[in-house]
Amino acid sequence: MTEVFRSYFYNAKKKQMRSKGNMILMFALFVFLIVGVLGGTFTFVALGICGGLTAAGAGWLYFSIMSGIAIALGAFGSIFNTYSSLYLPKDNDLLLSMPIPVKTIIISRLLNVYLLGTMYSAVVMIPTLVIYWLTAGATVANVICGIILFIIVTLLVLMLSCLLGWVVAKISLKLKNKSFITVIISLAFIGGYYYLYFKAQDLIRDLVTNASEYGTNIKASAYILYLFGRIGEGDIIATAIFTAATALLLALTIFILSRSFLKLATASGDTKKALYREKAVKQKTAFGALLRKEIARFTSSPNYMLNCGLGILLLPAMGIFLLVKSDVILTIGEVINIAPNCDALIVCAMLMMVSTMNDMATPSVSLEGRSVWIPQSLPVEAKTVLWAKTAVQLILTEIPMLIAAVCCAIAVQGSITVKLLICIVPMIFALFMAMFDTFTGVKNPIMEWTTEIVPIKQGGAIAIALFGGWGFVAVFAIPYFLIGSAIGLPLYLTVWAVIYLLAAVLLYRWLNTKGAKTFSRL
Amino acid sequence: MLKIENLTKTYGDKKAVDDLSLHIQRGEIYGFIGHNGAGKTTTLKSVAGILNFDEGEIYIDGTSVKTAPVDSKKKLAYIPDNPDLYDFMSGIKYLNFIADIFGVSAAERQEKIRKYADIFELTSDLAQPISSYSHGMKQKLAIISAWIHSPRLIIMDEPFVGLDPKAAFKLKEMMREHCDSGGAIFFSTHVLEVAEKLCDKVAIIKQGKLIKSGTMEEVKGDESLEEVFLELEAE
Repeated sequence: MTEVFRSYFYNAKKKQMRSKGNMILMFALFVFLIVGVLGGTFTFVALGICGGLTAAGAGWLYFSIMSGIAIALGAFGSIFNTYSSLYLPKDNDLLLSMPIPVKTIIISRLLNVYLLGTMYSAVVMIPTLVIYWLTAGATVANVICGIILFIIVTLLVLMLSCLLGWVVAKISLKLKNKSFITVIISLAFIGGYYYLYFKAQDLIRDLVTNASEYGTNIKASAYILYLFGRIGEGDIIATAIFTAATALLLALTIFILSRSFLKLATASGDTKKALYREKAVKQKTAFGALLRKEIARFTSSPNYMLNCGLGILLLPAMGIFLLVKSDVILTIGEVINIAPNCDALIVCAMLMMVSTMNDMATPSVSLEGRSVWIPQSLPVEAKTVLWAKTAVQLILTEIPMLIAAVCCAIAVQGSITVKLLICIVPMIFALFMAMFDTFTGVKNPIMEWTTEIVPIKQGGAIAIALFGGWGFVAVFAIPYFLIGSAIGLPLYLTVWAVIYLLAAVLLYRWLNTKGAKTFSRL
Repeated sequence: MLKIENLTKTYGDKKAVDDLSLHIQRGEIYGFIGHNGAGKTTTLKSVAGILNFDEGEIYIDGTSVKTAPVDSKKKLAYIPDNPDLYDFMSGIKYLNFIADIFGVSAAERQEKIRKYADIFELTSDLAQPISSYSHGMKQKLAIISAWIHSPRLIIMDEPFVGLDPKAAFKLKEMMREHCDSGGAIFFSTHVLEVAEKLCDKVAIIKQGKLIKSGTMEEVKGDESLEEVFLELEAE
């Protein structure tokens, strides 16, 4: 747990505790993002369905739906975190060699998993409960039972993510090219998750409209769901049943995990030993070798690829989608008709937004970890090492961006100039972001970690890179609605191209000088 | 080959290395011994260019580590006490990576990999990921990666830790061979018997300060190195 939130208290670069003001700022940002952004989203969802369902006497259905969303978000959002936290920490061997019961190790690891899963489910459950209490009226029974429901949901999230993490661990042992196969399976899960998410919106709308009918059918065919939802309404008996069942399941989960943990955490896999055969190699330049090493690092880790490289697939997917369904762009233009060529601007902004999902340069510095002595001791300049890290993100973003931008440029209605700029501006933005992400990685490194999920997902650098990217896109898009009519899109895009280029030049200079110095002193 | 002049490195209030001066000539195996926390690793890391030092200068074959770090690193190889290598690479990929950085030709590296991997009996494991290696195997790989680019100066921090007796013997032979062909080695060790048999010269460091240095005969006289070391520690 200390490791998860370490960066909020400790400045790893300066090797000292953060100032109070700094800590408050970090936590304020964290709260804004989790409570404000995520919590706000689910508040709207809850507001949309609570009134209708409670009025129809189906408050239990409201709780079943929202709890289901909380469990899905919490469990699927933390599968790889669970897998990494339980089975991949570097100190597993050390702890297992000590006179610490395996169960104790598991429980301490599970607390970390529990905390993160609770965070995900809380952004759904807290608005769910509060809106229900405001809509249907808060009583002692429904408040107490509601809190118990929240706890039950968090424990179900924990158990489900443990189960899924166990499945991932089992599969990982058997797979040869496990990184890519894990990514493919994960993408299939994510695709299915989002398919269900979008279908669920229609389903929820339908449920609210026909609440009584659905309620009767679900009560008849899935009584357990009805009973589960009744907890939120303050049903004591339902609360007692599910509390007992959850406690039993939790005990069972810990028991099963204890039995398999030792084997899975220490296993080296059933894959055959790779045979070494001497073969001719081509000599590479130093930069080429560093680049190849960075790519190998990226492709060796499903966590790294999934968390920092989704843009590689989503960019061309978005481009092809908009090319095929170009009427979507027309609809955007008709709906948001504040300034001329709004549709082209929004397409540009969407390309830029999706490209921010590629931020593999950010954790690449921290991922050097205890091996940082290698690049520091080699006869290469620190700036060359940083350029290799930047180059990986550039290559893996610009190629899909080019495909996406060309598709979008074809799909968008506009002059040749606008079409060209739709290709050029996002690519310059991607260049800027590659440098910005390296910059954040150098400025906020976490060199001491026991599981790679910490620098990849949980560091301050990654939050700055991700949300900074969104912020840059917002700053790019919003002013156009104010001044677009006056200056027109071609000029507007040209100005931003220049701004991003200048910013990239400044970052280039920083990385070559202060950045290189900082890296060499890590 | 290696000239350390008035090296000083401070961590906060503590002087880890205090005004240390040392010269190592070609052909010398130079041992560096001291108690835990004496400043050995700090000194070795400063020479390797990994650690910035506060005062003094370090020259490798006339090239300043401070003003020409890349040029000086081309002449040396560094093996840390704990070889945290790139776990995601296989052994052979790591060796090729190092060879590429140092500009070793394909033919030369192939010959050296074959030679040293056979010496350390690591050939059959080269295709395996480093994550599956034991500590000793990682140490062997780090040693091969140091020898692969024929450095003039090799800096090693407790190189014998984790090596089996056969590998330790082979390493000693390689060290002697390297110095006999004009190179130099500067290494730290806690195994004084090894230092006594292997080193041409030795330096003893205590609380950051060099307290004794010279040829083995000059330092130990008629006593054993262990006795000399313990006497100096007791003072």
